[in-house]
Amino acid sequence: MKTLASQMKLEFKLFLREKEALFWTLAFPVFMIILFGFIWKEETWDGMPTIGYLLPGIIVMAMMTTCIVSTATGVVEEREKGIFRRLSLTPLKRQTLIGGQIINRYLTVLVQTALLVAIGIAFFGAAIDGNILLFWAVLTLGAISFLSIGFALAALIKNEKSAHPLSMIVFFTLMFLGGCFLPIDQMPAFLRPVCEAWPSLHLNDALRMIAIEKAGASDIWHGIPFLLGWLAGCSVLAVKFFKWE
Amino acid sequence: MNAVVEVKSLTKKYGDVIAVNEVSFEIEKGEIFGLLGPNGAGKTTTVELIEGLRKPDSGFIKVCGIDVSDGIDKVKELIGVQLQTTTLYDKIRIGEAIDLFGGYYQKSLPATQILDELSLSDKEDSFVEALSGGQRQRLALALALVNDPEILFLDEPTTGLDPQARRNVWDIVRRLRERGKTIILTTHYMEEAERLCDRIGIMDQGKIIALDAPRDLIAKQNLESAIELITSNGVSTEFFHKLPKVTKITQDEDRLILHTKEASPVLTGLIRLSEGNGLNLETISVRRATLEDVFLELTGKKLRE
Repeated sequence: MKTLASQMKLEFKLFLREKEALFWTLAFPVFMIILFGFIWKEETWDGMPTIGYLLPGIIVMAMMTTCIVSTATGVVEEREKGIFRRLSLTPLKRQTLIGGQIINRYLTVLVQTALLVAIGIAFFGAAIDGNILLFWAVLTLGAISFLSIGFALAALIKNEKSAHPLSMIVFFTLMFLGGCFLPIDQMPAFLRPVCEAWPSLHLNDALRMIAIEKAGASDIWHGIPFLLGWLAGCSVLAVKFFKWE
Repeated sequence: MNAVVEVKSLTKKYGDVIAVNEVSFEIEKGEIFGLLGPNGAGKTTTVELIEGLRKPDSGFIKVCGIDVSDGIDKVKELIGVQLQTTTLYDKIRIGEAIDLFGGYYQKSLPATQILDELSLSDKEDSFVEALSGGQRQRLALALALVNDPEILFLDEPTTGLDPQARRNVWDIVRRLRERGKTIILTTHYMEEAERLCDRIGIMDQGKIIALDAPRDLIAKQNLESAIELITSNGVSTEFFHKLPKVTKITQDEDRLILHTKEASPVLTGLIRLSEGNGLNLETISVRRATLEDVFLELTGKKLRE
């Protein structure tokens, strides 16, 4: 436990020292919500403030920067630089190392979410009208699901230099085609089945239904298997293809 | 015999290539043991197998009496490893790195003590990315020492260092041996092996072809003095067999190397022989035999390409 705590403390310090990661994880989503908040301050879509619709989308986007982009680039770097190799010569257990990273990233997601929700509610009239606990539970499932995508990417991407661009492609695809900003019924018809496959779409739908329509567990249930499916599939990929060197 | 490392019939294959071929040896407590050989000889793979980084195809390894194949966690507490290239996170401070690694072990030394020992005290708050090559090597060594290990593994510890930095590392290694540690190092620098090691195992193509103290390795091959000569007329080795007291003759491209236990009579005989036969000696030098000569004798190849 002591090792886990000191590992996490150090990773947190390192995270604060990486300006680029800090930008994408905190500055960028905050910038987006402030920007959109001002652009659509007086707007409504179907009777609710637009920002209320966009807030879950920005939360999901922020979550993906942490769980997909940060994770994939960070883990590939650690492997290719030989950091994992050096660590494997110490008594540090692999579960402790990866477990600490997963917990750290989840805590980052919680911080991102809290920050975005606070700004949305305080300045732009957003609200989470539904069950906060359910919102948090779905958020957590989403985070774990996206983390598995991040680790699967880390297992499949061999080159340190291509880790950032490739994970950004995945990020943007899941963001734009997953309805973070544009509702998918605004997309061309041939794209819609593709969008339906993305976990981000179902996460966005579920979070919006809880926040805006006060949906309960039974209402959002149909989207959950997609998140679980991605979680299972990517975990299998990650375990099968991951190399420590 | 107080063996801290026992290796028996160790074999490791990568596809068709036999990287380590039925290697057996023992390392005694408190000795500096070297594995010497050209690149690709199997030294690094052998050491990685002992450290538990790789699993052997056959054979067994015991470290401090513990079988590596099922007691690797206990073994990790007792060993320290300096890898050839140790990279860490760019933005970690030196002191933080040593504390971090210290936390992985059941017992660890204070960071200030280790920094002091390796002359890195003034760099405690520096980021790893700001260190020079020599400082990075010392940091890698510092990380290998956090748990005050019984056995230290150094993989090519002075590669890429300038002569002064190299000598500093040698001093540190000798001090560590004085404290009772056992040190296993791999190197392709003959001088390093000769100066530092109590015993050396010479490896080539996955096998240990000789294992002894440096002096004895040279003596056993009857190589003590080496007279190197280059002639402009290019005569064959048979010609020089006429000289008395020559124990061995080896040829390395256009150089002939005459080995002997007594250099003076050979030199005298050489001058007389060249005068009488119109031999044109371009270059002639006398030196003590080295491990390079041993390696050349045993394998017909040069230690360094």
